[in-house]
Amino acid sequence: MTTAYSRRRMLQFLGAAGLGAAGLAACAPAPKETEPLAADDPKANEKTFSFASWTLNEEAGKPVVQGLLDTITTKDGLTVNPVSYPYNEYLNQLTLQVRGDKLVGAAQLDIAWLGALAALGKLRDLGDAAKDGGYTSTALESGQYEGKQLGLPWTTGAIGLVTNKELLSRAGITEFPETIEDFEAALVELKGLGGGVVPYAASTKVAQLKDILFWMKTFGCTLLDGDRVTIGDDASVEAVTWYKKLYDQKLIAPDVDRFDARALFGQGRAAIYDDAIVGKGAVIKDSPDKQLADKLDPVARPVLKSGDDPQAQLWGHVIVVVEGEAANTATSFARWLTSDQAATDEFFAKLALPPTTEKGLASDAVANDPFTKAFSERITKTASQNPFWRFPEYAQMETVIAEQVQAVLIGSSSPADAMTTAGEQVQALVK
Amino acid sequence: MTTTLDTPVLAGEEREARPRRRSPLDRERPAVRVAAWVTIIVFGGFALLPVYWMLATALTPDGKVFAYPPALFPADVTFEHFASLAGNSQLFDYLVNSAIVSGVTAVLSVIVSAYMAYSFSKYRYRGRRSLMYLVLSSQMFPQALLLVTLYAVFDAYDLLNTYTALVLSFTTFTLPLCVWMLKGFFDTIPDSLIEAARIDGASQLRIIHSVIVPLSVPGLVAAGLFAFVRGWNDFIFALTLAGPDKQTLPPGLANTYLGEAQTAWPELMAASLVVSLPVVIAFIALQRFLVGGITAGAVKG
Amino acid sequence: MTTATRPAPPRKQGTPAQGLSGGAFAILLVLPGLALLVAVVLYPLISSLVTAFFEQSLVEPGRRFVGLENIRAVLDSDFLPLLRQTLVFTVGTTLVPFVIGFALALALNTRIRGRGFLRGAFLLPWLVPAVVTSFLWMWIFNANYGVANGVLEALGIVDEPEAWLSSPGTAMAAVIIAKTWASFPWMMVMLLAGLQTVPPELHEAAQVDGAGTIRRFRSVTVPHLRGIIGLVLLLELIWNFQHFDTIYVMTGGGPAGTTETFAVAVYDTFYKGHDLGRAGAIGLLWMVLLLVLVVGYLRVVDREEKA
Repeated sequence: MTTAYSRRRMLQFLGAAGLGAAGLAACAPAPKETEPLAADDPKANEKTFSFASWTLNEEAGKPVVQGLLDTITTKDGLTVNPVSYPYNEYLNQLTLQVRGDKLVGAAQLDIAWLGALAALGKLRDLGDAAKDGGYTSTALESGQYEGKQLGLPWTTGAIGLVTNKELLSRAGITEFPETIEDFEAALVELKGLGGGVVPYAASTKVAQLKDILFWMKTFGCTLLDGDRVTIGDDASVEAVTWYKKLYDQKLIAPDVDRFDARALFGQGRAAIYDDAIVGKGAVIKDSPDKQLADKLDPVARPVLKSGDDPQAQLWGHVIVVVEGEAANTATSFARWLTSDQAATDEFFAKLALPPTTEKGLASDAVANDPFTKAFSERITKTASQNPFWRFPEYAQMETVIAEQVQAVLIGSSSPADAMTTAGEQVQALVK
Repeated sequence: MTTTLDTPVLAGEEREARPRRRSPLDRERPAVRVAAWVTIIVFGGFALLPVYWMLATALTPDGKVFAYPPALFPADVTFEHFASLAGNSQLFDYLVNSAIVSGVTAVLSVIVSAYMAYSFSKYRYRGRRSLMYLVLSSQMFPQALLLVTLYAVFDAYDLLNTYTALVLSFTTFTLPLCVWMLKGFFDTIPDSLIEAARIDGASQLRIIHSVIVPLSVPGLVAAGLFAFVRGWNDFIFALTLAGPDKQTLPPGLANTYLGEAQTAWPELMAASLVVSLPVVIAFIALQRFLVGGITAGAVKG
Repeated sequence: MTTATRPAPPRKQGTPAQGLSGGAFAILLVLPGLALLVAVVLYPLISSLVTAFFEQSLVEPGRRFVGLENIRAVLDSDFLPLLRQTLVFTVGTTLVPFVIGFALALALNTRIRGRGFLRGAFLLPWLVPAVVTSFLWMWIFNANYGVANGVLEALGIVDEPEAWLSSPGTAMAAVIIAKTWASFPWMMVMLLAGLQTVPPELHEAAQVDGAGTIRRFRSVTVPHLRGIIGLVLLLELIWNFQHFDTIYVMTGGGPAGTTETFAVAVYDTFYKGHDLGRAGAIGLLWMVLLLVLVVGYLRVVDREEKA
């Protein structure tokens, strides 16, 4: 009886679903067709467009970017509609917008996201606009995807090690170690300071475990060789083994991502951490130490053998333009925002984000800022792109690697097994 | 005693007319009172300590927020984070959008669910059961996937970046709770009342509006409040379907305070508390409708 | 008097056996809701289910029919741990808030001082914007500066900070606690309201017959609340299966995937992997699984009702 009864119920569920299906034919909307627009189409010169940007809505960035927008709108008679999503949701939302042809205009992008958005095939090649913009070659490179200049660089830097000079000198470290071996010894010294100091607030949470890729590179893993993923080779295993050793000796701490690392560093509880130049403001704001700004010192990542080039991941924001209506206007807007001397000066003065043009970098404000200068010389100079960025599924690759590294850290997998698995899974995503 | 016991369970009208009785537990042994207080202190602590922590954080100056060990009772109190909210006009826009979306959702949801629930409760027809389960099963699929198609659907009807898109989605997602709950409520209204109205010549629609609705005010208010909170709390639909002008509070807060370089904890906590307050006050005010509003809404086969 | 010697059984309330006539009107009443369901849920649902049988990318155009390949791929890759974790999370976040909500509802149903205020105050966790809740708890449980460690250390319960969210043993419990905090108030309100509808006569009669507090709870209160309990549990079960932002924010599914659920997997597969087919396949399996759970649950409820 009961079984018959439940079968009837199952049928009712299915019946319900079927009934809905019947209603579909009537309701299914026809997909909208959009024709690609030629660059010389007058519509491409329309004066109204959207500008998607997360900086535009954050507490610190908002007044600055809004001010820049106000300047250009009055100057050129444009109407710019701001679009904004929280940083963590930004790429997903922008993907939906661009995919559905909903975004008309320009968008700010983290350089790591270029591959994913480019795959939609709707971004304009900005090669002509970039040509005489006076951008540095590193900056230009950060906006390139498969040989096309899809983004104009807005700010370019790198993710590297930032240290607290005071803590280092208290531990007797006057010269930052050049090799991994010395680095490790320095961490032990720092641990000896006591007081709950985390010597190196390295990322150990999923969100930024990607930082480990550049430690792998330091150990000699190329990450990618053509289309072959090399994670899982000896160098990568060594790197993770080393990371695990630091973890077990509590030289790095569990449950840390970029945000946590900044918090610890700001409190003087971490001596070294990984960050891009954009993090400086946050660290200083949340620190009780009013002199912290003077104690910040960016340093080159230690290398395996003395004399090797230090590894760092390129970091930056670019502006892309979606092909279609108002694309010409949006392009000149993007060009102005990223290369106009007054605009980049303002951007640097208020947000401390380095400009991308030779002239901008040469300006007094930038050239004389010790932190920015040191950061460029020691870190950005040898920084390189993350080779996985060019794959649209980069975010998934990053998660796969992070999970495997975590498995090593919590002891549920050996470095060799975990890296082999990570390599295979990433390879499967390369396609 | 026997007669009291056998009296049919009171329906809305009589229930309202009945003076509120003292709970039978009033005359309980001290053991029960102690148990009640222990429960309140233990679970109440779990409920309110994090709220206290939000408040403490909102009052802590920037430099001390991440201190460890944390200052459980902030020695150094600042009101700057609350003050800075006043200067943020956009926050007020988000609040207004949230109030509109949640309010309209609540009203629409009550209307749509009441009709549906009434039909399920008082009529018998083929496919009734199936429809009831359809309502329930509408939540059994990943919303992240629904969202993307929904985005295209709303786009096709030019409803993206409108209140309408949000209201329609939220209303639909509140149907399972509201319909099933209201059906339980209507089940307790005796048919004799409806028959009597019909004999007096009232039309079917009129019966609903002038007989059922007045009897069900508490239930309708309860359903409305739940629908309100559904709209109030949603993040991902609001983020995706509403443009910058129609953005509600949850995405708005994330947008403003959870940034690339910085999570502005004290401001975020201050803002969350401030925007929650009006709703809490509304809740306390509406509580007398709510209590007694949700009858034993039955999950029956 | 014999009937009065034991607590009365719950009575069926005034549901008519026959129902009213007027079929067309009945359907008319259902139409607005049905239209919403079809447009907002059913059409997207079916079109997503269809993608389960295709290879399709979020970012690249075109799609290719692959039959059951996606479903097979999902079942082949760590499906069981994912299923187990999903069930642990779903059942945990359904039962724990239920117990707390029920206990508070009972406590606040007694005539204690300040209950009006407490009823309001306990709603706060539910009304704090949910997006903030996850961040709040992530912070509370943080290994390096979280207040949970601060309090426990001050009380001498732990010697050194624990990494709650980064240890496989505690991460799931931590996310369940966070979700519990956000959802027990509405259960409390539902159950409290249900308690108010228990006719005092039932309790009085039982008390006259000498039934103690616990016995009255079991034989009067619980049977009377069966309907509301059933509804609350059923909906929580379905919603928690769906829930993902608490996990996503607090642990990102880590450490090493030990808090990953179907909901997180769908999100990652969809937005990060851009694999619509595979996401659809997870959705399909999810729906089948929930249908089985819900049908089984309703069957149990039915059987109890008949008994």
